[in-house]
Amino acid sequence: MTEPMIDVEKLTKSYGGKRGIVDVSFQVPEGEVFGFLGPNGAGKTTTIRVLMALLRADSGSARIAGLDSWNDSIAIKRLIGYVPGEPSLDPNLTGGQILEYFANLRGGVDQAYLKQLIQRLDLDTSRKFRQYSTGNKRKVVLIQAFMHRPRVLILDEPTSGLDPLNQQEFDGMAREAREEGRTVLLSSHVLSEVEKTCTRVAIIRDGSIVRIGGVHELKDIKRYEITIAFAQPVPADAFSKVEGVAEVETLNNGSAVRLAIQGSADAVIKAAARYPVVSLTSYEPSLEDIFLRYYERDGQAPKEAVGV
Amino acid sequence: MFRSIYLKSLRDYRVPILGWGLGLGALLATVLIAIPTVFATPAAKAAVVALGSTYAWIAEPIKIDTAGGYATWKYGITILVVVIWPLLAGTGMLRGDEERGSLDVLLSAPRGRVRVALEKLAALWTALLAFGVVVGLLAYAGGAKLNGEVTLGATLAFGLNLALICAVFGSIALFVSQFTQERRTASGLTAAILLVAIVVDMVHRVVPNTVWLSRLSPVYYYNLSKPLVPGYGVNPGAMALLVALTAIFAAAAIWLFARRDVGGVVFQLPSRRASSTRALPTSDWSLRSDYTRSLGTTTTSTLWWTLVIAGLAAWLVVIVKQTETQLRSLLQSSNAFGQVIKLGGGDTATNEAILGALFLFIPILLMAFAVTQANRWSADEEDGLLEIVLSTPQPRLRLILGRFAALATATIFISVVTLAATAIAAAVYGVALDYGNLAAASLSMIPLGLLVAALGYLFAGWLRAAFDTGLLSFLLVIWFFISFVGPSLKLPDATLKLSPFYYYGSPLIHGLPIGDTLVVVVMGAVALALAAFRFTRKDIAV
Repeated sequence: MTEPMIDVEKLTKSYGGKRGIVDVSFQVPEGEVFGFLGPNGAGKTTTIRVLMALLRADSGSARIAGLDSWNDSIAIKRLIGYVPGEPSLDPNLTGGQILEYFANLRGGVDQAYLKQLIQRLDLDTSRKFRQYSTGNKRKVVLIQAFMHRPRVLILDEPTSGLDPLNQQEFDGMAREAREEGRTVLLSSHVLSEVEKTCTRVAIIRDGSIVRIGGVHELKDIKRYEITIAFAQPVPADAFSKVEGVAEVETLNNGSAVRLAIQGSADAVIKAAARYPVVSLTSYEPSLEDIFLRYYERDGQAPKEAVGV
Repeated sequence: MFRSIYLKSLRDYRVPILGWGLGLGALLATVLIAIPTVFATPAAKAAVVALGSTYAWIAEPIKIDTAGGYATWKYGITILVVVIWPLLAGTGMLRGDEERGSLDVLLSAPRGRVRVALEKLAALWTALLAFGVVVGLLAYAGGAKLNGEVTLGATLAFGLNLALICAVFGSIALFVSQFTQERRTASGLTAAILLVAIVVDMVHRVVPNTVWLSRLSPVYYYNLSKPLVPGYGVNPGAMALLVALTAIFAAAAIWLFARRDVGGVVFQLPSRRASSTRALPTSDWSLRSDYTRSLGTTTTSTLWWTLVIAGLAAWLVVIVKQTETQLRSLLQSSNAFGQVIKLGGGDTATNEAILGALFLFIPILLMAFAVTQANRWSADEEDGLLEIVLSTPQPRLRLILGRFAALATATIFISVVTLAATAIAAAVYGVALDYGNLAAASLSMIPLGLLVAALGYLFAGWLRAAFDTGLLSFLLVIWFFISFVGPSLKLPDATLKLSPFYYYGSPLIHGLPIGDTLVVVVMGAVALALAAFRFTRKDIAV
């Protein structure tokens, strides 16, 4: 069996008496884009910072390409491109100077590819880092992670602050990385981002992995909301028995409903069509909302959830 | 304590108030406690009087044969250290919050900018008053056994005067920070203003007929009040002027703050733009490695510190003639002084003896520079700036040694320029000096600076930047105290050896003390090795 590119085994890290991560284990084969999901403070960044040898694990092991993340950190960093969760760079350097600086520290950066990335993300490299918007700061950090075509990309909330267009560009970059056989560990709390990009995911909560599986398995925890306003009040039980509806909340004396839906909305739309619809708003809850709902009782999904 | 911006800010100041107040109050108290030992015999008292005249450039020796006069004179030099905290607080008050982004959130609360600034300023002034009271009370406690020579009213007035000069520089710092994008730059500029103000105040004590120049310095008005000196008391006019200066600078700063962009500066210089907005810079020397980057980052501050240190050293050479004249008249009027220093006749030995005493300041300034650079190291980790650097294939050991090497380069540069400046000044003004000794005095400062930096790097392994800097500053004060006051207090040799100044010796007079210099070098190397050992094993930014 081929050795996984990223191999985390019973990794534990605490901050004094405070919880960090406990017995975290997962493996990422080479060429896979692996999602690392969890609400804020779940332990994603701690796991990643141990992998990056910024933190020293209390116990367990973290290996990349068969190398120990702490003892062989220099060799590992030659393979890695990294986007930290809270990137901080010299505010007095321009974006271009920052990229040149990190290109020098890494060595062997293809200047043509670097320029291509700058064009692709439409980054103005002449401005100082402090003058950049949040999104542009993120672009600089993304480019420095991709510019040396690393075998492994470790990305902690990489699209935070990016506009939809640049999020699309990032999706493309991650897809290309996968097509080129590179390995990506993508930490995020945005479910749709992970769905689009990843093949498998690990879900972490309160410092422990609660679930690992294919991205399609997310469907059984994915839930979104639809608010439908009608021209007149509709019966209270009009949607409660409809397939996929997990929760119903009646608004405005029955002339509007907020539905929590799991899976396809087809049956809901057909049921709503029986009444005069004024407006329909769909809202995808954050993963954090989903966690709050689905893992509030020791990781057990509520029984009313309907698998699709 | 979270009910208002004022109380929250006051809460933030509680540790510095206590630490700074207790530390500097204890320093003054110790000086007072030691007085019976210092004035043990009439001959000793006479020697102190003579010594006071020698060091008149530091502080005016008035009634130095009294407890209050002696303490005031001895404490004079600490003004440089006392003002550091209010200076940092002044630049951090608005600019620091802007850098962290916390001011954006604060200003989203339903409070006007002026009110926010005023509440923060009021908290600083309250903290400074508390600081003054702590110093006053400790000084009173220290002087309790001096048969009523030191009264509570006098010590509290002393503390108040101290708080006022702190408030002046706090307001100047706040004002300066309106013009700079970074807190660090504002702190550096205000520190330069402080040094210039101290030197300008010194001038009239060294060069005759220059009081007009000294009057331009706020420190001059601080020194006009000497509440501890019997019969001298406070100068209400001078104190009122300090209050007025505080108010003027604070009002101007708040006026500017209310009108500028948050995160912006008062005057924005037009920035140069590259021809193509997607161009990459080519062959920028400072981007080649972490060493060169670190060197590039410190270039501006190094140049400023060089200007101040080399400038001051050259100026000291220039004034050595005047000092010699003053000392000669002292010699004629005091036999005791003759025992302290034997004057030649404007020859090399005489000049070196005088300059040696004056030169005391120079290594302290170089060590202060090292404190600021060590602070940069710990602050970089705290601010997350090492995160991405450490994601590149740079060993941690290379990173810390590269940064230290950059700091060492800057320290060597300052020392060499200081040597060149003093040598040129001596040649131009015809001051006879042994250039070998001058080189020894200038270059043997380097290990002192590097020792401080290495200790700063070591402490950074455990402490946050603010505590690291605080601890280093405190050590600097203690070392200076041991070396400057220790001999008068007849402290044991083992205690005197705790201060690196002991190993610096008097190179201008006695040449390079090779053995002692090696001791400092070894101490620095050990501290750096321990710092590197710690850094290669620690969690980053936790």
